[in-house]
Amino acid sequence: MTDDHRMSCSWFPARRFLPLGWVASVAFGIATLMLVSPCALAIPPFARQTGLACEACHTAPPELTPFGRRFKLNGYTLTTRPPLVNDIDDYKRNSLWLTDLPGIAVLAQIGYDHYDRAPPDTGQPYPAHGQSDSFQFPDQFSLVYAGAVSDKVGAWLQLTYNGQSGGVGVDNIDIRYSDHSVDNKWVWGVTANNYVTFQDVWNGFGSYSLPNFNTVTLWSGGVGGSSLNGPLISSFGPGIVAGIGGYTFFNDSLYVELSAYHSSFNGGGTPVVDSSNLAAQGGALDGFAPYWRVAYEYDWGYNSAEIGTTGMFAKWIPSNGYISRQQTLAAAAAGGSFTPAQTFNPGAANQYTDIGVDWHYQYNGQHNIYSFLGHLIHENQHNSDQLTAATFTGLQGGPVYSNSTDTLTGFQATGEYFRDRRYGGLVSFNRTTGRSDVLANGGDGSPANQFEVFELDYLPWLNFRFLLQYNAYQVVANNQNPFTASNSRFPNSPGFPNVKASDNNTWVVGLWMDY
Amino acid sequence: MRRLASRIIIVAAIVVSTLYLHEAMAADPAVPHDRSVYDTKTLVSVACSKCHGFNGISISPLFPILAAQKPLYLENQLRLFRLRARSDPHAQAFMWGIAQRLDDDQIEALAGYFSNQPAAAGKPSRDAALAARGKVIYENGVPEREILGCIGCHGPNAAGIEQFPRLAGQHRDYLAIQVKQFHGLLRENEIMYRYVENITDDEIAAVTEYLASK
Repeated sequence: MTDDHRMSCSWFPARRFLPLGWVASVAFGIATLMLVSPCALAIPPFARQTGLACEACHTAPPELTPFGRRFKLNGYTLTTRPPLVNDIDDYKRNSLWLTDLPGIAVLAQIGYDHYDRAPPDTGQPYPAHGQSDSFQFPDQFSLVYAGAVSDKVGAWLQLTYNGQSGGVGVDNIDIRYSDHSVDNKWVWGVTANNYVTFQDVWNGFGSYSLPNFNTVTLWSGGVGGSSLNGPLISSFGPGIVAGIGGYTFFNDSLYVELSAYHSSFNGGGTPVVDSSNLAAQGGALDGFAPYWRVAYEYDWGYNSAEIGTTGMFAKWIPSNGYISRQQTLAAAAAGGSFTPAQTFNPGAANQYTDIGVDWHYQYNGQHNIYSFLGHLIHENQHNSDQLTAATFTGLQGGPVYSNSTDTLTGFQATGEYFRDRRYGGLVSFNRTTGRSDVLANGGDGSPANQFEVFELDYLPWLNFRFLLQYNAYQVVANNQNPFTASNSRFPNSPGFPNVKASDNNTWVVGLWMDY
Repeated sequence: MRRLASRIIIVAAIVVSTLYLHEAMAADPAVPHDRSVYDTKTLVSVACSKCHGFNGISISPLFPILAAQKPLYLENQLRLFRLRARSDPHAQAFMWGIAQRLDDDQIEALAGYFSNQPAAAGKPSRDAALAARGKVIYENGVPEREILGCIGCHGPNAAGIEQFPRLAGQHRDYLAIQVKQFHGLLRENEIMYRYVENITDDEIAAVTEYLASK
């Protein structure tokens, strides 16, 4: 069971990692390792490249219109710019095409958060607490290259400064090759990216699901790194994995994609995940993890509707899947069952099967725009025998999962409305439930959470967005809640009285702009 | 003197042959000087079809149906977009960019392509009485308020005449939006402004209902 980073266009996991105990490590999983920074939204380079205004591709960023989806599936290659440098080979094949205007953009997100209850002090015992608000200026600052690289290849390459970590790192990357039949019945392509679901074109699930703007509210990364449980598939962001896949889009309606992801750790000293950086990575995939996506879109009039399914099968070695030589020897001396000396232990991999459905209805009228979208995803987590075995006692402080199999079910339903792309807002309901696991989750073992996001937006210009957001929590279980004793991120917090989920309620004032 | 003359002849020959070669290369459509040198179908496929459909029949009423449209009208509009001389909101948002680097040959070819696509079938009217009233307005105008009929320019079947566009089978909402933009001077057209200056919303609803159903 891992934590949800549905908005994690994130990077530089090592910077946020704190050395935790084994149980704490599992409890937080990769959650505490991933920075949460808002995704890049609309991208002016695409507008400059195509000559099309934002509204061609977006209802309100980041939600895509049917046109925007096709632009992306065609590899970001549509352009009306003249080439500055062009070359052909002896067979009249184009071998170089450089635009006169490289697609560079600057993105900035600024956020002010006010928490209903001041969060625990990370360094001092109860009743010490931090300030009840925070100002991230910037919350995120990114440089992006986005656009055509050749007539069939396009790229999105993002470099981000994250206000919370103070570091600059490689953020989202999506490089794609695409081609199509002349009548557009068939579009096919290859995508190489470092963020599972970043390549997707519908907004019901994954990196571009709505709501999308977040700063350090609990649901989106949390005060001091606390975070909510969510399916593993939501956690695979930049600096954690990278993958490649092929897709096809038939008859403007049926989309099929098959990809495979592998651990890809940035900034870990060595690109090979081993005992030296597994903990900092928060874990690692064992081999390749297949990811599949099937979606069906039907457009009529002003309407566009999609229903789809997403899934992933992953063998994930959690950060405590490393067994040191010393520990192994100690186990052998004590008569333990771990005989071979090893520094890396694939046998400690948990098997995750995530299968979800998502939906997206969009009405894109002349003045009124509204969408209803969301997802339901179920995760089955078969825990490694080694991590649940009682023989783990004496090695790593005991087993780290109570159950051989844990489950998690995530649900999100969002409604969004915009008038003339200037005024708008959204309401989003989010709920996660799952099998109780005391060792993994602390407290009563529940992984559950439930919250709503209410947002008002004002866009004086399409690339300049003010928003006011309120996050209301009804359920924040156990170690997800920074105020509870089992939250290892705040080891000094035990003893806070009257801990409620609503302690995490947050007002957010945000500004997003790009140019 | 003779030497000078021969030098001039040589230089002239080089210049002429260079120009000729350059011209010949420029005229060779197989040489992709840049990616805007697409054949018409590819151009439609890459750009136009995403909004207007490969066969010129768009799905969203925000974008006009181009199938069977009058070629002269299409050419004129594309030239206006290229010149940025048509400035209604969607022209600016979409067509200024798309049309900015089309050359005259491409414009002519695109107009030919879409005008030769089979016309869209009209959508059955949801309100027969309203469509009937629209037919009267289309043919006779509203004489008491000095609104002239549309039939004179757009033809008895609304199939268009020369530079005057086909309206039959067009999206009802698209037509209504255009009329309102002519009326509000968002889309600059002196003739259309005069025709729709005094028109009411009810009359727009009626005439567009009729045209969309044809």
